[in-house]
Amino acid sequence: MIGEFEYAHVSSVEQGCTLLTKHNGNAKILAGGTDLLVNIRNGKDSPTLLVDLKGIEELAEFQPNGKEGALIGASVPLNVLAEDRVIRRNYRALAEAAASIGTYQIRNRATLAGNLCNASPAADMAPALFVLDAVATVVGPHGTRTLPVQDLFVGVKENALSLDEVVTAITLPSQKPQIRTRFLKIQRIRGHDLALLNMAGCLDAASGKLRIAIGSCAKTPLLLPSLNEPVSEDASIDALVEKLNALAQGTIQPISDLRASAEYRRAMVSVLLKKILGALLHPKEEK
Amino acid sequence: MSAKEENLSYVGKSIPREDGAAKATGTARFVHDLSLPGMLHAAPMKSPYARARIVRINTDAARALPGVRAVLTGDDLNFLLGLYMQDKPILARGVVRYQGEPVAAVAADTLETARAACALIEVEYEPQTPILDPREAMTPEAPLVHEDLHAYHYMEGVFAPKPHSNIAHHQKIRVGNVDQGLEESDLVMKESFYNPPVPHVPMETHAVIAQALPNDQIEIHTSSQSPYTVRNLLCHSFGLPHANVRVHVPYVGGGFGGKAGIHLEPLAYCLSKAAGGRPVKLVATREEEFNTLPSRQGLHSEITIGVSSEGRINALKVVYTWDAGAYADYGVNVGRAAAYAGAGPYRVPNCRIDSYVVYTNKVFGTAFRGFGHLEVLWGIERAIDIVAHRLGMDPYAFRMKNLLKEGDRTITGETITAGHGRPDKCLEAVAAAIDWGEESPPSQEEPQKVRGKGIAVLHKAPAMPTFTSCSAIIKLNEDASADIAISGVDMGQGTYTALRQIAAEELKLPIEKVHMTWECDTAFSPYDWQTVASRFAFMGGNAVIEAARDCLQQIKQVAATALKTSPEQIVCLAGQAFRMGEKERAILYEKLALGYTFENGNAIGGPVIGHGRYIATGLTHLDLATGQGLPALFWTYGAHGVELEVDKETGNVEILKIVTALDAGKVLNPKLCKGQVVGGVLQGLGSALFEGFIFSEEGQLLNPSFTDHKIPTMKDIPHASEQIFIETPQPDGPYGARGIAEHPMISVPSVVGNALYDALGIDFTKLPLTAERIYLAIEKERKP
Amino acid sequence: MKPRDPTMHTIHLTVNGEREEVSVPAGMTLLELLRERLYLTGVKEGCGAGECGACTVLVNGLAVNSCLVLAVEVDGAEIQTVEGEAKDGKLSELQQAFIDEGAIQCGFCTPGMIMSARGLLSKNPHPTRSEIVEALAGNLCRCTGYEAIIAAVEKAAERGPKDNRR
Repeated sequence: MIGEFEYAHVSSVEQGCTLLTKHNGNAKILAGGTDLLVNIRNGKDSPTLLVDLKGIEELAEFQPNGKEGALIGASVPLNVLAEDRVIRRNYRALAEAAASIGTYQIRNRATLAGNLCNASPAADMAPALFVLDAVATVVGPHGTRTLPVQDLFVGVKENALSLDEVVTAITLPSQKPQIRTRFLKIQRIRGHDLALLNMAGCLDAASGKLRIAIGSCAKTPLLLPSLNEPVSEDASIDALVEKLNALAQGTIQPISDLRASAEYRRAMVSVLLKKILGALLHPKEEK
Repeated sequence: MSAKEENLSYVGKSIPREDGAAKATGTARFVHDLSLPGMLHAAPMKSPYARARIVRINTDAARALPGVRAVLTGDDLNFLLGLYMQDKPILARGVVRYQGEPVAAVAADTLETARAACALIEVEYEPQTPILDPREAMTPEAPLVHEDLHAYHYMEGVFAPKPHSNIAHHQKIRVGNVDQGLEESDLVMKESFYNPPVPHVPMETHAVIAQALPNDQIEIHTSSQSPYTVRNLLCHSFGLPHANVRVHVPYVGGGFGGKAGIHLEPLAYCLSKAAGGRPVKLVATREEEFNTLPSRQGLHSEITIGVSSEGRINALKVVYTWDAGAYADYGVNVGRAAAYAGAGPYRVPNCRIDSYVVYTNKVFGTAFRGFGHLEVLWGIERAIDIVAHRLGMDPYAFRMKNLLKEGDRTITGETITAGHGRPDKCLEAVAAAIDWGEESPPSQEEPQKVRGKGIAVLHKAPAMPTFTSCSAIIKLNEDASADIAISGVDMGQGTYTALRQIAAEELKLPIEKVHMTWECDTAFSPYDWQTVASRFAFMGGNAVIEAARDCLQQIKQVAATALKTSPEQIVCLAGQAFRMGEKERAILYEKLALGYTFENGNAIGGPVIGHGRYIATGLTHLDLATGQGLPALFWTYGAHGVELEVDKETGNVEILKIVTALDAGKVLNPKLCKGQVVGGVLQGLGSALFEGFIFSEEGQLLNPSFTDHKIPTMKDIPHASEQIFIETPQPDGPYGARGIAEHPMISVPSVVGNALYDALGIDFTKLPLTAERIYLAIEKERKP
Repeated sequence: MKPRDPTMHTIHLTVNGEREEVSVPAGMTLLELLRERLYLTGVKEGCGAGECGACTVLVNGLAVNSCLVLAVEVDGAEIQTVEGEAKDGKLSELQQAFIDEGAIQCGFCTPGMIMSARGLLSKNPHPTRSEIVEALAGNLCRCTGYEAIIAAVEKAAERGPKDNRR
């Protein structure tokens, strides 16, 4: 037995919320289970009820190419995102981030919503969603609301949901062809590992708008403040890196832990910036 | 028993494993998979403190939980166990010596109940400041990890614990005059090196089922490398005759040294006894495997080397300070072996080595693949490179000038013979394979990536008692198939397959008719010391040869009578026996396997059962003052060459190509030998690049799981690898073979360290060589 | 204090083609169900935390760590374990390839490796080397150094029936 808890398989989000309300913080949503069950096993979490929403059709919805953009239901596993051709083409950083998490087996179960709601400062899905202006749809006993994904992150492993709210979908605006995104992650080994640092970048090659988000560098992943001037493809990468790095260093507050020192994390910011900007400004030269 | 090169049918061929189908179908049963009627499940309760006095333990609530059948604490178990030094209690008594040490244990109907009961055990501790650095532990003011060290039993004449100290053993090598040798040197280099403790990480954790049977009988099923040692140590500590204890070892999911000696068996047995004789199963969780079960000792090395301007080693002075952790029952022998091997495979006329095995309050060390040699050669092979560079000499040329050759003496006074093997040939082979001397072309597109090449040599002899032995029994069945019984364990290294090949070759039987008995059972599998030290193929091979020849002799005897001739006239070939020149009158083994029956009904002979044994001969204890003696059954030499690429911006290392050469004497099975090397090299790369325990200041193990103790995955393998086998026959080895099981990992960290110097001009002295460590060193060089 | 009796859930699933009906508590993992209730001890526990892949089985064709799936979550699912790989006592090409290539040493990681490979070959009968690595990198092995395992999957892909699905 991995833990002592009850299990409820619900057929509607409403039913799920009702149970969450009733159990007043002692019930948790069981999505992929790859974070929750690990936490239950090692005693970090001890809910008395797990609520399984995976049977709800609406939450399994996956529309990568909708007219309004992409819709990713809460129970869509990460491998679907990593392997989908449309996601790889239109929201490349999202696919790259999904492919970087855990192992193939983990990705067949883990979900995007789960990764976000777990709210780890190192959440690999966060930076890409921040720079892509992703929005979370949240359903609770008081109705439905939406919020930018970055607002889901409140603190270390602390999300903005109340105890009886459920993320039902993540939506992404429809992508124009001039939007380019990339995601990179610093790990200790080439095999599966948590991020020592992760970063996503999004460049609108037409308007020159550039956004960078960095994770595993503060209590939550951070969206860097935007630059005032538009970025052109001819811009000097080194100059851009210097500017953004200065901005980043002033914003991030990395810690030293057994995985990496703050010094190393800070140093890797400019390394990732250089790689990501190189790819965004000169995608044809990418190896 | 020299190598017979001509017309070998099986030895030297890549015969596939017989156990492949069982493992590929999941029918191979490991202790994890076994169940006995009435079996209980056990769980340990572990100390949160690295050092503390146990003030009080209250087990009332635990005992009251329904389904709990036994609860034990250290007070119930006044026993000390250990292989070379008896310093290990079964459960902590009076004091805890490492965070993770079992303090109490429960056997219950279900594992959940056992764990719930553990949570109900109340322990009052008086925490004390732990000693975490072995060098500090050696100072006179340091508190003692073992107050009663002076009273412990240990293998006398071999080990030398220092009473009323934290020194479990001190091994000395004294050859020539080191101070004079250093004085006369043109260049003296002194440097310190460090290896952290590293866990084995077998994929199957430790597991045991023990049952206390009536009349002080014990039956044990254990995932172990050493059934006879388990039996012997249990009997010794519990005062039982050997015949009372029966140990079974089924399939074992990896050991790497961590399953040698004795581990969870005594606790499981005591729980069974306390539970009225019901079988008790105790399986380590992965976290317990990291945090409670022993690992590889850490090592601080201080190496001073004096050389002449022409590049000859004059003198070597070394202090090895082993971080044994809380117990040193096996670790004392690592300290001993490290000393006698601690100069590397070189000619060193003046040598002083002091190897101290020191207690600290951390999870303890035990045998680990390489047995101290990886740790020692990290320092030695790095030191050789450093001093060569300082002399302005090519490290290859430097090594060639100093490697042991026929006629040279080792630092224990052993003379190298033609049958020892050729470290120079190994080095030559790897250097050629990586185009040593030719600089790697720098990357055009990525200037932040630089390349470097490195070489390193290795050596190891089995580190074992001088009287170590092995035995084998072969019996023929009615259909003249043969079963081999032996108590060495095939935990994946493939020795059973090599032994089958040897037996088939000697018995003149088709290999399909020769089988290993897969489960070792001390009731009928004959004695073997332990499957460690890379000695099983050597000693087991020799024992099997003798057993097979014994069978053959019996066959010949009976065939001779049947054919009215003498045994010397009988030829055995392809499962038949015939008088020389009279093949048409051959008798099939099937007609001889259970004796021979004449036409009129008379019978002679009987069931054919051959026995063979091999004992190490000529080995001596090492003089405790000078380290002189003959400890080595055989030496296996080897070398690595590596070409790697470092990303200066991140510190990441890519292994482009790693080449390994070993003088195997005789490659018994090329595919299996290659498998050992590929696997061992990758385990070595793990130690080189990212493996190692991290402790808090309070002595807590911070990375007791795969989350933060990474081992190489399929994505971490080198871009290219090559395995080269030199075959200088070992005169007393089976078909000339020597052991090679541990050797593939021994100098991998040092060859990587050497290549990093070539790439970056930075000398690394501490392991692991993580990206962060490399990056920070590069930065420090850039702006000191 | 006695732990409360958990609610039992009756689930139906197909395991290696056999239909099973079992009654399980919520906290029982699929790994425990397979090993302890259905006696499919070919499925191994290496870490219990989704890091090592020794417990890999296929759930509706997808490779998952059975230690992180609850039995109750697979009601109605089709499970494949290593015990279902050989048919009528005949080893599959994949199992034979593992043996032929020397991809097996201690054997503890082998069932999980084979299931990850089966999951891959069923969807992608001719994978590239990098696709093989991606599918199997979640299976840890301490013995072989992985090269022979990659070679085994490549060989099975070469040899296997055009539709590698089993």
